[in-house]
Amino acid sequence: MTWFVTGASSGLGLEMVRLLVARGAVVRATGRRAPDQLPADFPDCPYLPCDLSDPRAVAELADWATGQGRVQAAVLNAGAGYFRPLARETPEDIARVLAINLEANITLAHRLRPALAGGRLGLVGSVAQKGAAGMPVYAASKAALDGFGRALAEEWRGAVTVRVLHPGPVATGMATRAGRTPDFADRLFLPPRRTAAALLHALEARRGADRQTVSFLRVGLHRLGGRTV
Amino acid sequence: MKVLITGGASGLGAAFASTCAARGNTVHVIDIAPTAQGFAHDMGSADPAAWDALVQWLAANGPFDLVILSAGISATGRFEAIPLSDHHAVTSVNLTGPVRLVHMLDTGDHLNAGARLVFVASLSCFTGYPGAASYAASKDGLAGFARSLRGPMRKRGVKVQLACPGPMDTPHASRYAPEGSSAKGRLAPDRAAQAILNARRFTIIPGAGPKLAAFLGRLAPQIMTRLMGRVLFSKLK
Repeated sequence: MTWFVTGASSGLGLEMVRLLVARGAVVRATGRRAPDQLPADFPDCPYLPCDLSDPRAVAELADWATGQGRVQAAVLNAGAGYFRPLARETPEDIARVLAINLEANITLAHRLRPALAGGRLGLVGSVAQKGAAGMPVYAASKAALDGFGRALAEEWRGAVTVRVLHPGPVATGMATRAGRTPDFADRLFLPPRRTAAALLHALEARRGADRQTVSFLRVGLHRLGGRTV
Repeated sequence: MKVLITGGASGLGAAFASTCAARGNTVHVIDIAPTAQGFAHDMGSADPAAWDALVQWLAANGPFDLVILSAGISATGRFEAIPLSDHHAVTSVNLTGPVRLVHMLDTGDHLNAGARLVFVASLSCFTGYPGAASYAASKDGLAGFARSLRGPMRKRGVKVQLACPGPMDTPHASRYAPEGSSAKGRLAPDRAAQAILNARRFTIIPGAGPKLAAFLGRLAPQIMTRLMGRVLFSKLK
């Protein structure tokens, strides 16, 4: 029984893989970075680099993920986006962000479905899904992921547990890389390791809503040892 | 007043076109199968040349005072039973295309001061839509996009609105509704078009039944989606 985690080469995905491998789970990880670009202390697990904006690569990735048969849980966590107004976007980046944040996840869910029977599918969204003036395309992609997971959770109920988890702002450096100027607010961002732990807990909990916000309250309570909120 | 309508050749889009024309507006239509005056364009196109041609056309026919993004397709059934190519066509036509078009309108200065930008999403944004997962995704994405643009556009004098119509008596609705379901209770597209055109609020939900469904969906989102699963998805299987 395998875990499958996308976006594992940095940020929340990397932290989730670290936590999973540390507890002895069998994990297959993927990320955009080449294997030699991974951090030196990357956990000991199979890793396949993949450009999720390339449909053919996504199809191959799904085959690889299901290579050992059943997938106990898939965490579709990879995301891309830019912190910039619409006028400064480009057609190529619009298509790329929607391909990675939405279409790749639709493809992976579609292809992983047989292997996921009895398992769990976690879709990692963002609190930006409610609308974010500074990143309209990213917000659109995450809102779309929310609507996708909402429908899928109902369709697959009783067969595969689907949960959409929306983390709050996390100090992964993504916001800065995405073009946001670092300021005092960065110090208030959520710590990646603890957010990753709260996300895994939210996905694995026996009971829980189909769509959940995993932000300051949830991460804080999880840290205090609270099991469920 | 100059109006641009995507998907303006049939269904709700055509109702927008005829209503606007009757009100004395100059109407420009983009559609995959346009009527005589329209511009032929597939909103789901990935061909850069097709989008370049659209840029030229927008420059020649704009700027606009009202833009209605009404073009949309769906794919209904069990998610895994629908071919992936259909899911991707839905997200391309309903979401990626409109985002690209609005980006073009924005960068090309094709919106007049005081213009309105109306996104046609769906009641599914409030109820969820098991049995149309990629469609629900595309419409929620459009809603997230509209909510994000609302503030920045207002600063430039452009009013953004989000229309979330429920089932209508259109070719689209009859194509994707469960077999044997009746058209009774579906809103006439003309009435929906008028309600949307006359509305001043950001979120527009034409019709009393859909308004109630949206209210309940806000109150208890998951219960509403489960109900949609019972009354709709179970019939699609």
